Amino acid sequence: MRVEMLRTFLTAGLCVSAGAFLAAAVTTDDISARAKKLHFSSIVVDTHDDTTQRFLDGNFDIGARSTTGSIDVPRMREGNLGAIFFSIWIPSKITGPEAVHRALVQMDAVRGQVRKHPNDLVLATTAAEIRVARKQGKIAALMGVEGGHMINSDLDVLRKFASLGVRYMTLTHSGNDEWADSSTDKVVHNGLSDFGKEVVREMNRLGVMVDISHVSDKTFYDVLELSKAPLIASHSSCRAICDAPRNMTDQMMKDLAAKGGVIQINYHVGFLSQEFRDAEKAHPEINKAIGDEVTKRCGDNEACQLIEGDRITREYVAQGKLPRIDWTKIIEHIDHAVKVAGADHVGLGSDFDGANMPYGMEDSTKLPQITEALLRKGYSEGDVKKILGENTLRVMAEVKRVSRELNSLPRK
Amino acid sequence: MRRLLALLCVGCCLCAGFFFSLRASADDVAGRAKKLHFSSIVLDTHDDTTQRFFSKDFDIGKRNPDGHVDIPRMREGGMNAIFFSIWIDGRIMGPPAVQKALDQIDAVHENVRKYSKDLVFCRTAEEVRRAHAQGKIAALIGVEGGHMIGNDIRVLRTFGDLGARYMTLSHFYNDEWADSSTDKPVHNGLTDFGKDIVREMNRQGIMVDISHVSDKTFYDALEVSKAPLIASHSSCRAICNHPRDMSDDMIKALAAKGGVIQINYEKSFLDQAYKDASEKLSGGVVAMFDLLKKTCGDDQECYGRKMAEQEKQATAEGKLPHVSWERIVDHIDHVVKLAGADHVGLGSDFDGASMPEGMEDCSKLPKITEALMRKGYSDDDIRKILGGNVLRVMEQTEKVSRELQAQ
Repeated sequence: MRVEMLRTFLTAGLCVSAGAFLAAAVTTDDISARAKKLHFSSIVVDTHDDTTQRFLDGNFDIGARSTTGSIDVPRMREGNLGAIFFSIWIPSKITGPEAVHRALVQMDAVRGQVRKHPNDLVLATTAAEIRVARKQGKIAALMGVEGGHMINSDLDVLRKFASLGVRYMTLTHSGNDEWADSSTDKVVHNGLSDFGKEVVREMNRLGVMVDISHVSDKTFYDVLELSKAPLIASHSSCRAICDAPRNMTDQMMKDLAAKGGVIQINYHVGFLSQEFRDAEKAHPEINKAIGDEVTKRCGDNEACQLIEGDRITREYVAQGKLPRIDWTKIIEHIDHAVKVAGADHVGLGSDFDGANMPYGMEDSTKLPQITEALLRKGYSEGDVKKILGENTLRVMAEVKRVSRELNSLPRK
Repeated sequence: MRRLLALLCVGCCLCAGFFFSLRASADDVAGRAKKLHFSSIVLDTHDDTTQRFFSKDFDIGKRNPDGHVDIPRMREGGMNAIFFSIWIDGRIMGPPAVQKALDQIDAVHENVRKYSKDLVFCRTAEEVRRAHAQGKIAALIGVEGGHMIGNDIRVLRTFGDLGARYMTLSHFYNDEWADSSTDKPVHNGLTDFGKDIVREMNRQGIMVDISHVSDKTFYDALEVSKAPLIASHSSCRAICNHPRDMSDDMIKALAAKGGVIQINYEKSFLDQAYKDASEKLSGGVVAMFDLLKKTCGDDQECYGRKMAEQEKQATAEGKLPHVSWERIVDHIDHVVKLAGADHVGLGSDFDGASMPEGMEDCSKLPKITEALMRKGYSDDDIRKILGGNVLRVMEQTEKVSRELQAQ
């Protein structure tokens, strides 16, 4: 009993002193000792971070605290982000072998950062490896490919991405690819084409999670019917709260959950807040101006575009031209998804370094606030742990089990 | 009575022993060679079988009526470690080359998965030894031509991550950063970027293969590399004066830095008379490739098949001289005399070249062991030539990689 109490006290003490460094930069709600204890003893998994783009610019080092963006090792440690899926992403318009080449380069960049920081990061491909990393005090680095266009319709390439450690693939990005419809493009394939179905089957066999963020509703249902393993939405929020095609309807969430899947809530203000979305729609000139300014500042540099896009958007918010969205919107989405689909089917897919973050969730140091808010809402500690990461770990383990099962079947 | 029986028995044994020793004096070497061969790690550093994986007619698990390599014939020839060559025509460059190379790497991985009872994918000398101890064939990957990295050092690393354990710096044509022995020099050997590539290969533990490269590229790579080099499939210029082969000076320089030349069985690289006749007939191996490109297009598997057909026909018509497999032994012996038994090995070019008579496929490999034994080579030296030397270079390359990564 005493030992237990002492440990709690020590942990709290450490967190308080870590918090003292933060105090100047962060104005957070007071995080209770209970929330801190729970948060820092949990495996926090974030399934979508665009930090990879920053690696391509030779100046960024994930090991050092950065004054821009949302993710680096010191800030991950501070917010106890224990496992991160680095997104391999290139725009949908880049296709063919060029897309394959550029995806490989990003995988090399992720692996390079891991090699460079062996005491902080370790490449993981399974839930078990994430747990081992946690025990060793390291952050698990994983990879997800955001958009099927990067395999250039070639299953050999998909398999090599898997060999290099990729553990999910989002079937499309903002545009359709050769075999699946996106939620933000015209319907061409009526969901998933026959080849797209082959892709999903091979992902099941390989143990690569099927990610249905970004895809059209029809693609989602095609995949749900076909996939032998549960699906994830690596970074999507709830359409009932914010009516964006990138978000999921209540029915979709229920169906996803019925097959064991998880929706990982995206923190992008345009997906969290109807008010923000309406304001964007009402003032297309603002979006255009932001786009122009981004191009002016960044040219073709995609990492710069993502970071500056967020920064410039905030300038408009500061001027009162766009509404100011608070981080608690994230909690609303989590809570909605829990009410609709259950606490076993919701997780975190921030979109850090790739989207416009709400106020109070500027970077990964703010993650303990989520734990605090959920506890205040009366969530059980078990449910909070699930939402923070255990749900994703469960899906990963299940996807691996299905893969083993499929691999043990006789070959055709 | 019992004594009599015992005497008879001894007598019988003596008689049997006498007959046996008579036979043994004739076949002693054959028996010993067989025993030595089938207990050794026989490692071939260059096989173009990979391209056949893309043909519906080919199944590496079954005995095939054509080609040179499949599991049954590897078992028969005691070939228990093989570098599958990742190769596409050197004129395909940029991202398409990268993707095609990935496809071939995957084809090797998938065939290993398909025949996991026989094959095991290996990345290190230790893994090759373990595979041998388990009675499995070690499958390794070498990338034949720097053009496949798309002029991007990051792709090189990715190939290394996927298991590639050597890269030939060029193929028949120059790439963006290295001159080939069969193209016009444009880089004066290795460019600065080419030198960076060699350094990165050292760091990643990928062996630097100087087969195919120009003499200047060879000397540049030799100077830059911190690990010993291999020539994965080259023979001796002193016997057959082909630019693809190595001069005595080159072989000595390679050996002085711990490297190995892996003898190529291609007839135009083994035999001067054949090379001369072949050049008269078709303009030589590069000109032949040009022609094949027209016939085969992007079908890489077609190259080997067509080449074999044309060569067979020309030999039958008497336009090309017969070359015996013993030429391979001549080349091995030449290197041993020149640089010692620590610096030569086997790099057949099976499924990618015209094989001499008597070396029609990998089932014939025990002949090499027997021939070397008859020449008076020690068992140890023969084991080195069969595979030990390459394993030593692999270990050395791994050590250099560890050292560089620790820095």
